[in-house]
Amino acid sequence: MSELLQYLLGGLVVGSIYGLVGIGYTGVYNVTRIVNFAQGDFAMLGAMGAIALFEVGLPLPLAIAAAIAGVGAVGAAVERWAIRPARADEVRGIIVTLGVGALLQGVALTLWGTDAKPMPAFSGDRPLWLGGATIPPQALWVLGTTAVLVLGLHLFFQATYLGKAFRACAVNPYAARLSGIEVRTMTVVSFVLSGGLGAIAGIIVAPIVLAQYDTGIPLGIKGFVACIVGGLGKPTGAAVGGLLVGLLEALAAGLGSSGYKNAIAFVVLLAFLFLRPGGLFGELERAER
Amino acid sequence: MRRALVLGLALLALPLSGSAYLTNLSIVTALHALPAIGLSLLMGYTGQISIGHAAFYGFGAYGTALLALRAGVTPWLGVGLAAAGAAGVAWALGWLIFRLRGHHLAVATLGLGIIFHVGLVELRGWTGGPNGLPGIPPLRLPGLDADTDFRFFPLAWAACLAGAVMAESLIRAPAGLAMRAVRESERAAASLGLDVAALKRRVFVVSAVYAAVAGSLYAHYVGYVSPQPFGVGFSIRLIVMVALGGFAHVWGALLGAAFVTVAGELLQALGPYDTMAFGLALVLVMVLLPGGLPQLVRRLRLVS
Repeated sequence: MSELLQYLLGGLVVGSIYGLVGIGYTGVYNVTRIVNFAQGDFAMLGAMGAIALFEVGLPLPLAIAAAIAGVGAVGAAVERWAIRPARADEVRGIIVTLGVGALLQGVALTLWGTDAKPMPAFSGDRPLWLGGATIPPQALWVLGTTAVLVLGLHLFFQATYLGKAFRACAVNPYAARLSGIEVRTMTVVSFVLSGGLGAIAGIIVAPIVLAQYDTGIPLGIKGFVACIVGGLGKPTGAAVGGLLVGLLEALAAGLGSSGYKNAIAFVVLLAFLFLRPGGLFGELERAER
Repeated sequence: MRRALVLGLALLALPLSGSAYLTNLSIVTALHALPAIGLSLLMGYTGQISIGHAAFYGFGAYGTALLALRAGVTPWLGVGLAAAGAAGVAWALGWLIFRLRGHHLAVATLGLGIIFHVGLVELRGWTGGPNGLPGIPPLRLPGLDADTDFRFFPLAWAACLAGAVMAESLIRAPAGLAMRAVRESERAAASLGLDVAALKRRVFVVSAVYAAVAGSLYAHYVGYVSPQPFGVGFSIRLIVMVALGGFAHVWGALLGAAFVTVAGELLQALGPYDTMAFGLALVLVMVLLPGGLPQLVRRLRLVS
């Protein structure tokens, strides 16, 4: 029984990591309908940047804040010089974000080498006991951050003027411009937002998942699976989708064979794409474009 | 056709130079160009992205390897059967995946590619797991085994150039016009009475066969297969080749494959900078040269 509980808790931790990374996609997607395949690399860059600044001697909170701001600036630069000139064509847009991802990995590789960097856990390493199973304290940070970000973003997109302007750009950029919304500015802001969210995700999960120049790819892909399962563009969807995928993975690994764990997420992904492409909380016509 | 003959004759200089290194590099180029040409038919001409094509390459390689090692099938028959198998798989998958388009199609193909790769690693009893399958027999030509670089060279390039010529004639045929119509506007194409879903599915099958044939040639050439070369990384490199080739451009895809293969060799000298250079090159080409390398060639011609 406690074994099952341990699997479930493990799945909860991993799932909230997927969800946290997945939330980052919503910024860019809700303004531009672009899926940023470099999102995982934003997370990696944030984690690596924060660790590097911390190692230089900056206090941890300052290092984290600087890394988040830095990756946000990187997001703006990516939008200005890579996405904007190539956006007209969807396939080219996808390839540009793949290229940006490789570029960011290369930058991390040259700056910090291939070694995995450890990040100190925010509240120590002593595992917490929970009914016969253990959970690392950092997992609570991940869960808490996910909850706060989901709530904040949900309110932002649904209730604030800027958030509504964001969504207007995605629904119909032309009509948005006619009603006085600066689509171009909104696009830049959305990339800054996604960069910052990616960095936050990368930093919070870094003490659990070691940060390395290529950790962005698996994180980004699983985060994206979380988005599809929950409904692309919905912060709540990303979080719930992430938890679902994480729990299924943990149960499959615990009760079946751990080798197939990596395939589980994609089987879930395909099932959702074919049966309910709008995800748990999405509207179906979104998938049609 | 004439292009293929000229290119074939020009390429003969490589093995005649006696350099095993250059010959090997050109064989690898040919084996990369074949799936890139197939993907250009799907992505460039029909406008349907696939980030999972390495799986068909791997299917061809593992298919023929297993047939040769487990069932004792002669290599030539194995290549044919693997290609037929890939066609069947693509036909079945095409029914499912072309309900999706754009980003959703991209992610579905990515997911299928990853599932295939996990299968290669985990089905140890069949695939040998991460260790792979050694001892795949070489292809036999009448009188000699195609087991050295110099003997395999004509085979690889004959397959590649034949593939390019066939792709070109497909594009000139009515089916090619239909493909481009689907890329420009599915609705308009459907309003002309084209069965858009069936067309996408057929092109998917053709591109899968291109990849599978190249993969099985690779298996018989190297004599050993492991999961590593058939992952997402190779799928992305194939897309890069097609993009560098200017998407809807058969010979461009070949040029792109040559560029990626040769640049990959040269970039190794850069050590840790190669990933960065690769990403930067990809972004720059997409931003500055939407027509890929062929556009660059045309521009240079205009300048001179």
